[in-house]
Parts: sequence; C-alpha cells; structure tokens
Amino acid sequence: MNALLEFLSFSDPNIRYVAFGSVLLTASSAIVGAFTFLNKKSLVGDAIAHAVLPGICLGFIMAGTKNPVALIVGAFVTGWISLVLVEFITTKTRIKEDTAIGLILSVFFGIGILMLTVIQKSGNAAQSGLDHFLFGKAASLVGSDLITFSIVAVILLVIVFALFKEFSLLAFDKDYARSIGLPVKGIELVLTSLIVLAVVIGIQAVGVVLMAAILITPAAAARFWTDKISVMFLLASMFGAFSGLSGAFISYTAPSMPTGPWIVIVISTIAFISFFFAPNRGVISRFIRQASIRKMINNENVLKILYQLGEENRNFFIPRLPDEIIRRRFYDKPALISILKRLSRQGYIDRTRNLWALTEEGKNRAQRVVKIHRLWELYLTTYMHIAPDHVHEDAETIEHLLTPELEERLEQQLGYPKVDPHKSEIPYGNA
Amino acid sequence: MTPALEIHDLTVAFDRKPVLWNIDLMIPEGKLVGIIGPNGAGKSTLIKAMMGILPLSSGYVKLFNQPLDDIRDRISYVPQRESVDWDFPASVLDVVLMGRYSKLGLFKRPRKADRDVAMECIKKVGMEGFINRQISQLSGGQQQRTFLARALAQQADMYFMDEPFAGVDAATEKAIVTLLRNMTAQNKTVIVVHHDLQSVSQYFDWVIMLNTRLVASGPTATTFTSKNLETTYGGKLTLLTDVADLMRRENYPSREENIIQP
Repeated sequence: MNALLEFLSFSDPNIRYVAFGSVLLTASSAIVGAFTFLNKKSLVGDAIAHAVLPGICLGFIMAGTKNPVALIVGAFVTGWISLVLVEFITTKTRIKEDTAIGLILSVFFGIGILMLTVIQKSGNAAQSGLDHFLFGKAASLVGSDLITFSIVAVILLVIVFALFKEFSLLAFDKDYARSIGLPVKGIELVLTSLIVLAVVIGIQAVGVVLMAAILITPAAAARFWTDKISVMFLLASMFGAFSGLSGAFISYTAPSMPTGPWIVIVISTIAFISFFFAPNRGVISRFIRQASIRKMINNENVLKILYQLGEENRNFFIPRLPDEIIRRRFYDKPALISILKRLSRQGYIDRTRNLWALTEEGKNRAQRVVKIHRLWELYLTTYMHIAPDHVHEDAETIEHLLTPELEERLEQQLGYPKVDPHKSEIPYGNA
Repeated sequence: MTPALEIHDLTVAFDRKPVLWNIDLMIPEGKLVGIIGPNGAGKSTLIKAMMGILPLSSGYVKLFNQPLDDIRDRISYVPQRESVDWDFPASVLDVVLMGRYSKLGLFKRPRKADRDVAMECIKKVGMEGFINRQISQLSGGQQQRTFLARALAQQADMYFMDEPFAGVDAATEKAIVTLLRNMTAQNKTVIVVHHDLQSVSQYFDWVIMLNTRLVASGPTATTFTSKNLETTYGGKLTLLTDVADLMRRENYPSREENIIQP
C-alpha cells in the first residue's frame, strides 16, 4: 500500500520519468494500433513486433552501445523489411497472407534471438539490459532515452491527428478513397511506418513478444463502449495509458519483474470487463436485453390467451382461474402465476384472490397482439402464397416484434381486412 | 459534342487472367446508363477500371476528353454495399461527410459548409431521420441511400454506381431512379451497374451490354434487343475462359510489350 502511495505521489523524479514515459508510449501505441484494428490487420502488428528484434541487435552492434537512436533506426529497418517481405510473398507466390505472416514472424524472431545470444556471449559490458526488449522493462526508461522515445511518440500522435480523416476513410472504404484520387499507397506507407514506430517505442515498456497486445487490445476493448470513432480512440488511449501506468508501478515495486506481462494482464482485464459489461455491445447487456424480450413475449402471450377466452364468451373482462389459461396453452403453474402477478403489477390485469381478469388497458394491448397476428397471417397467405396452415408459427413471433409504423403499413397494404385466413375476426382499436 | 466517357481497347486482368477483353465504347453526356450482363461478366470491374481503381492491362479511359487524373474531382463513386464492413464506428453523417474529402484535400477537417452540403444530400435521399444513426443499425436500403448521399456530396458531373438497387425495396428504388433522372436532367452522366433486366428499358437512356467483352453499347431503344440479350446471356464463351485460365497458370503477361528482355 505504501509503495502504491509513494508511486502515485510521483515525488521521486525517477518515478515521474518512468510513469510519464510508460503512459506516453503505451497510449501512442494504442492509438496507432487502433488503426491496425480497424484495418483488420492485427496480425501484421504482431509480425512487426517480432521482426524488430534483429534490428535492435543490429543497431546495438553498429553503435556499440544502447544508443536509443541507433536501436530505433535498426528496429525500423527490419520492421519494414519484414512487411515488404510479407507483401512480396503474398503477391508473388501462392502463399496466403496468414502463412506469410507466420513465416516472417518466426524467421525474424529466430534471427533476433540468435543475435541477442551472440551479443550476450560477446562479453560487451554495454549489452546488459538489451534483453529487456524481450519482455519490456518500464523502469529502464530514464534520462535521455526517455526524451528520444517521447519525441517519437509525440511525432506519432501529431501525424495520426493530421491524417485522422484519411486513415479512417482508408480503413472503411479503400476503393472509394482511390476513386476520389487520394494517394492511397502513400497514406498506407505512412500508416505502416507509424505502426513500425509505435512498435519500436512500445517495446521499451512491453517488449517484442507481447507488443501486439498493447497495439490491438485497447482498441478492441474500446470498441465495445462506443460507436463513435473519436470516442473509441480516446478510450483506447486511456486504456493503453492506464495499463502502461500500472506496468510502470509493477516495474518500480518489483524491479526483477518484466513489465510486459503485467501490462498485458491489466489491458486484458480491461478488455475482459468491456466484453462482459459494456452497455449495448457487452455480453451481459445482450443477455439482459434478451431476457426482457422473453418477459415481454410471455406477458403478451398470457394477455392474448385471456383475450381469446374473452372472444369465445363475448366478454373480455370475466375473471378466470389460472387453469383455464393452462388448458389453452401449457404453462408451468408457478411460472404462470408469476407472469400474472407481474401483469397485475403493471396494471394489465386485476386480481381477486385466485381469479384474474383483463383490465381495459390489458384488453387493448392483447387486442393489438391478436390483430397483428391475424394481419400477418393474411399477409403471408396473400403476398407470399404460403399455405394457411403454415403461417401460424411465423405470426407468433411477428406479433411481439412489429413496430407501430410497420403495423400501420401492414394495415394499409392489406386494406383493413375483416378476417384472417382462418376466418377469425381481426379486431381493430376502437372501430 | 464531346463524349462524357471514351474507352479505347481496355483490357483488365486479375492475377494475369483477363476478365475484360478489348473494350471500346463511348457515352454521351447527360445520359442515365445501365451496364448489364451475367454474373462474372466484369460489370463491376469495368466501372472500377473506368475510375482507375484497378490497373489497366491495356488501353485508356478518357473522361470529358481528358485523362482521368486531371478531372478526378468531377467523378463520383458508389461502391457495392457489401464491399465495406458496416460495423465500422461511424454515423450516417460521418459517411456522407467523406464525400467532401476530395474537395477538402489532405490534413483538413470538414468545415461547417461541408456539413451543410452533407445535410442537404442526406435530405435528398430521405435519410434526415437517421443522421446520427450508427451505420450498422441501418437497413440495407438505408445503407445504400447513405452511400448515394455520400456520392451526391461530391457534387460531381459523372457518377459511377455499383448495383445501387441491390437490397433496396421497391419504393426506395423508385425514389432513387427519380433522383438519378433529375441528375441527368441537369446534364450529369450516371452510369449504373444493374441486375434486373425487366426495368432496363424503363430506367436507362443508354445501355452497355457486357460479357467479358463488349456485346453492345448504345441507346436503349436500339441496343436493348433480344438478339443482343441472347449474345450477352447466351452462355459463356468457353474458349475465351479457357485461354484466360491458361494465361494465369502459365504466368503470361497479357500484353507483350510488358516483357522485359534480359
């Protein structure tokens, strides 16, 4: 607890660096990654992430130290080469993109690990910490390195902001973008470079192995909460930033712990929560919606039965026993009672002990359901030439679903008919 | 009179396999043009090639007697509805505003005036009740009208539409046709890939009949004949298809001058 307070007070300048750095790196990676997500190129991000490792080693060998500029340039070069190779393999051979990505990813990563091992065995003292690029180490983000990486992150954000409308159009409708003469190839080139750069700076915090998570997961999680692209990007950057911050905290309190896995756990938890709890798109919200539809269907079905019983006696308001309803349509009795209770709470039914009767409102609602049912049966037999004995099941669903506008169109198109295909009378409102 | 569109010896190949062979045609200005032909005849390919979305293996396209790149701002495109993922996070207004991007150029955001144009086009297609609706929540016909509004927002002189009536109900189809008629009345040229043969003579002034090669192109009254229909739909030219397949298998270039001698 104390460690958390100490961390959050940001009193130690080192903590400030590390926290600020991680937030900036993960947030900018998340923003660029959101476009890979919208372009449905998530795997490409993973390929780049693995392919930068040999570049980092190469940069180190060239510079002789862990000079961040050398590492970035090296990583950028091999990241790009990997993409060019994937593109080359998919267009020039019969190998499909997923196979090409898998091939390139493993080959580059293998070479990277090989080079890393050679460097580590070389006895060069400057190499210590190079292996942090595998799983990330936020705590190593200090001093001049941080400045370099932050500059790159800011450049990323500026370019994304400037080309936001072009990137979104390309993700949505590339052919259209071509038709209006947008330099599609050039813009794609810029976006790909941004992704490579985002990977290059993101691996400081997350490491090459898990980099894809910070590119893709924030956007995937954000998509659950909104249908607005601007809000989605804002949320993705916030999710990314939060996971970056928590990674920095772990790295600070447990220095031997790699940061990447922790960041991934945090961002995955956010994604998991989004998946279940997001309004509208979340699983639970869908479940609740379905449950309430089922309830509504049950309610209307019971009202409908009471109405049909009423039709037979030419009096809709006779109080009835639950058994009379069950004779028409089988219900588990306790379940039926609970539906009846719910309807009486809603004012559609009056209860006198074990006797239940429609109220005026209940009758009207039931009448509408019955009307739509019979109109729909008629519609199916007249317009779709379906046999009268096949239309009932279909109408059972439609009767609960139809909106008032569609109901009106149905009435008009059929010309307010009097009876349905089974010669039952079609009841209209107050007519 | 300069033709709105002129195509000379146009051949298009996918993966070296030619799908359109040596098309020559000319379309006058201010016509409502239908492109018809069986599945796989290359109808969509033809309009994409006309707009330079696909690379040409041979030939050229001239619009208003100028090369395509000089007059891009005068053409507008309605892609097939199924060609995009409608689950994209965007509203109807967002999509229609894309129609202004070509006028805006790189880096610039849509301005108030662009919004006004977009709103006006949304009204023209009768979508004013759905301005902020997420596009995946629209019916097929509404999505189609959204695309149409986006094309209108470009304020172009020539429109290419890929099956704008697919998945559209009869009332909407009628409304769209009226809209297209109004456009051609203002001397705009509208080229439509069309599937329903029954409505061809009723809708179009001009018809292009296609089956991997051009069967006929001309005024509907004289061109849309049963003889031409028979040639267009009367079975595939199997020899042609087999030759195209062979070119793909053997990695043959579709034009000889592309071969670089060692």
